[in-house]
This record gives sequence, C-alpha cells and structure tokens, in this order.
Amino acid sequence: MPVTIDYSKLRILADSDTRQWWEAARQRKYLVRRCNRCGHKWFPPNIPACSRCASLDVEWFETAGKGVIHSYVVVVQPIVGAFIGAVPYVVAVIELDDCREEDGTVTRVAGVLTNDEAEVAIGLPCAVVFEETNDPKIVMPRWQITGPAETTWKFNE
Amino acid sequence: MGALTDKYCIVGVGETQQMRPSNRTTLSMACEAISNAMADAGLKPSDIDGMTSYQVADSTSSAHVATALGMRLNYCLDIFGGGSSTEALVAHAVGLIEAGYAKTIVCFRSMNGRSGRRMGGQIPGGPIPAAMAADDNQFNMGWGWTTPAQRFGMSAMRYLRDTGCTTKAFAEIAVAHRYHATLNPKAIYRSPITIEDHQRSRWVVKPFRLLDCCTETDVSAAIIVTSRERAYDLRHPPVFIMGGYARTMTESPQWNYSRPVIHYVAGNYGWKRAFGMAGISHRDVDFVSCYDAFTFTTLIQLEANGFCGHGEAGEFVKGGRLQIDHELPSNLSGGHLSEGYTHGVQMVIENVRQLRHRADDACPGWREGKHTYDRAKGCRQVKKARICCGMAWGWENMASCLILRGMAA
Ligand SMILES: [Zn+2]
Repeated sequence: MPVTIDYSKLRILADSDTRQWWEAARQRKYLVRRCNRCGHKWFPPNIPACSRCASLDVEWFETAGKGVIHSYVVVVQPIVGAFIGAVPYVVAVIELDDCREEDGTVTRVAGVLTNDEAEVAIGLPCAVVFEETNDPKIVMPRWQITGPAETTWKFNE
Repeated sequence: MGALTDKYCIVGVGETQQMRPSNRTTLSMACEAISNAMADAGLKPSDIDGMTSYQVADSTSSAHVATALGMRLNYCLDIFGGGSSTEALVAHAVGLIEAGYAKTIVCFRSMNGRSGRRMGGQIPGGPIPAAMAADDNQFNMGWGWTTPAQRFGMSAMRYLRDTGCTTKAFAEIAVAHRYHATLNPKAIYRSPITIEDHQRSRWVVKPFRLLDCCTETDVSAAIIVTSRERAYDLRHPPVFIMGGYARTMTESPQWNYSRPVIHYVAGNYGWKRAFGMAGISHRDVDFVSCYDAFTFTTLIQLEANGFCGHGEAGEFVKGGRLQIDHELPSNLSGGHLSEGYTHGVQMVIENVRQLRHRADDACPGWREGKHTYDRAKGCRQVKKARICCGMAWGWENMASCLILRGMAA
C-alpha cells in the first residue's frame, strides 16, 4: 500500500545553500555535494564545506539515485503532522551506488520509502522516485525497493 | 592522573519534584532546585559566585535566577546544549575555579520537557500541525524523521543487524532501571516491570517500544561545585571529581549516517582520557550511570566506554547485571526511563547521593548514612559505593563522562 503523506502540512524552507538541491529535485534529479578540490561527496546538502579537505569550493554531483538500504526505522507513532495518515511508514538510510570513493568513503542519504514495512529489509536495492507536493516549489524524493538481494536482514520483533 | 584530579568536589545537589505537568515557569523551578542544592550543601546565596546552565532555547537564564535569589555572581553563562551538557558544565566549573574566575559554581537545568517544548519538535497536545522545516530539518522533516527515537532508532536497527543482539537486551535495561525506581520515592514510574512487559509494550518507532523510551518531564535540577578545601567545611562528605571527558565528538557530528559504523558512538573517543585522568580501570568502578534517553543509549554506551567489547553489550547486560546487588548497577534513581527526564542532571545527583552513602530511600536513617540494604523494605543504597562512572549521551556523535569518588575510595 503506498504511503500517503499530507504535504499541505509540511513547509520546507530552502536556503542559500540548499535552493539548488530542491530545484534539481523539481527537475527529477537527485544531487549530493562534491568537493571541487578533492572529489569527496556528501549529504546532507546544507553542509557547505568539504569535511575531507575543508575546501569551500563545492559543486553538485548528480547521482543515478540508486543504492542499498543500510538501515531503517518503522515510524508507528506519528510526530510530524504531515505523516499522521501515513503510519506506519519506513524511513531508510540508503548507501548510494555511485558515490563510493577509492578510500572506502561512502555517501548515505535518508528518505521515506514508498514501500511498507512488510517489504523492507537491510541490504535491498532501491531507487529514488519523485513525488509532487501541494507546494509547487517542492518535489519530494522518495525511495522505492527495486528488487531482491542475496543477503538481507529484517527486523525480527 | 589529571592535574586537577580530586582537587574539586560536588558539594550540593538538589531538584524539584518530577512533574507532568509542573504548571510553573522554568525560573520558578530553577530557584527551587538551586535552593535545595544550597540547603543540601549548607551554603547560602552569598556563598555562590558562579552559575551556569544549559538549554535548547526552552529555559530561563542564570542572570534571572541570580536576580531572584539575590546572588551577586562573578561568572555566569547559559549554553546551548542538550544531553551530555551536565558533565561538561561540571568540567567547565573545575577549570573556572582553578583559574580564579569564581569560587563556588552552581550548574542547573530547568525545563518543561513535557508541558512546554518537547524533544523532536512536538508541541503540547500532540503532533505538529504544520511543520516548519528549515536548516537541518529540511533533510529530515520531509521524510518524517525528526525525534530522538526516530533518529537513534536508525543506529539501533543497524546495531541489531550487525551484532545479532535482540530487543530482549533493551528489555534488560528497562527492567533494571525500573527496579531501581521502585526503590526511589521520587520516581514517576514505580511499578516493577518484566522482560515480557517490555516485549508487550506498544511500538513507538521500530525497533523501539514505549518501554524503550524515557519519560518526558517538567523538572529542574542543580549541582554545586567547589574546591576541596571549601568542601571539607560543608554539610556532607565531599564527592571528588576524578576525571572525565566533556562533549567529545566523533567525526562528522552533524551527519552520523555516512560513517563506516553508524553505531560506533562518541564514547569510544573519550573513555581512555577519562580513565587515565581518574587513574582507575573499569574494575575499580562500583556502579555506573548511563544516559537512558532510550534503553539502547545505555546499551551502546557501556561498550563505547569499554565496559565490554564492541557488539558484546547485549550479552553483557543479560541476567540483571545492571541491577543493584549485581555486578554493575546502573542508574540507581531509575534514570530517564523511570524516574523522570532531567536531560542528564539527575544521574550525577544520584551518583553523588550514592557516593555519600546517603541515597534518599525508605531507610529511616538515610540522612546519617544508615542503610539496611534490604531491597524489600525499599533500601536503594549500593553497599560498596566508592567509585562511579557516569556516562552521558548527546546523540551518536557526542558524549560526556564524569568519574566521581566518595570519601572512602
Ligand atoms: Zn575536499
């Protein structure tokens, strides 16, 4: 069953560091930050400098928006009003396939899945999808499980 | 050993009742907590010349409290900070007194954590009707991932996967801390619970159930720090500050989730400094406090601070190890899970009372340090209470620690 979020109850305040990220999402692109000096990539986009070399010369890297579920939680008691009708819903941390660096550094992002908890497991591949909201300035990235995986782990209650 | 080990002492502790709701201002509660701490120490307002507090834009200030209580301060500061700030303010007080900025400093926290601003952005009466997502919140509120339970749950879930630990280990902590609360007349929750009660309680955010979560509380609590020389003249046997670490961070403190191991938390970076400063080993520790915003935060800090190996905490806590009269009693007042949520102060307060041998329990002679050790009759005093390690949690990436000893150690 798809997760229903009432975006009329959610107002995102983009700022000078993040406006381009939200603009890209509106164009169905998923960006992470990249350092122009050393190539390091990171999330979230509101962090404006490179944590590897401290450079402020940073650009955007468009990822393919594909990754693997690294961890997740299942929110049962809603807190943010927009999600009252969505519980239980799954928030996952996703390790991006195209952001692994030579020294082993990875970039992981967070987002709400379109799948429900019966389908989710650590290790499953997923891809970004974009959902329009009541706010024309905001298109919200969501994540969708794209297939099985050899090794997965599921929370055993 | 640290240059200042045992040179400074905690001489007074005090708090208000744990309330839900208080129907009071944070200023009124802070005045009461500090008055109680002064009475405990045998000090008067004119003896206090420094005051510090921490808050998250939800509380009164040192200047207001000093005005209300008629103090003339040589030093005051209110910092922005949450969990793990108590121990940092104690460390800060040691440095200030050593440097001569003040002689006797009170550190406090006052919060309407239940009826006022609640952690994770809730307003009184329930969920946020229309969320304002700015700054960091742009990248968590949009996916409904805002509260400490929701955030720490992410690391806890991965921990369960990586280590094979189960939520029965979380239950051990809920049961131990609740057991201690049954011996604490001040605690909000005083009915004993079982592992099964924990496993049956409702889900908040998987992997956390209701009994994994602390209890939101309206409360103020205060601690007074002064030098050893002054401490000897005061009402109680002094409790000596042996060592610690203060708001120590991991790398990437604002984005835990790209770190190699998201549950390799900040205590790992601090405990060797604290134990070295105190000049002790883990075997010297008679009991601990371990910031229990959630059961999991206690579990993970035990291994982060070297009480057991990585991934071993689930086994370590089994069989009631953290309960009084067992190997490593933890959170003897009931902690955040069962006594009430003071953002960390009450753990230091309880440790001080235990080290004085004056836990305020059902024993008629507790004020003179006379305890029965009869748990059925409500005695909460640890028999051998000489050295205590207090571990505090801000979030995965920030932690503090305070190692204390009593006169007998
Ligand atoms: Zn760089």
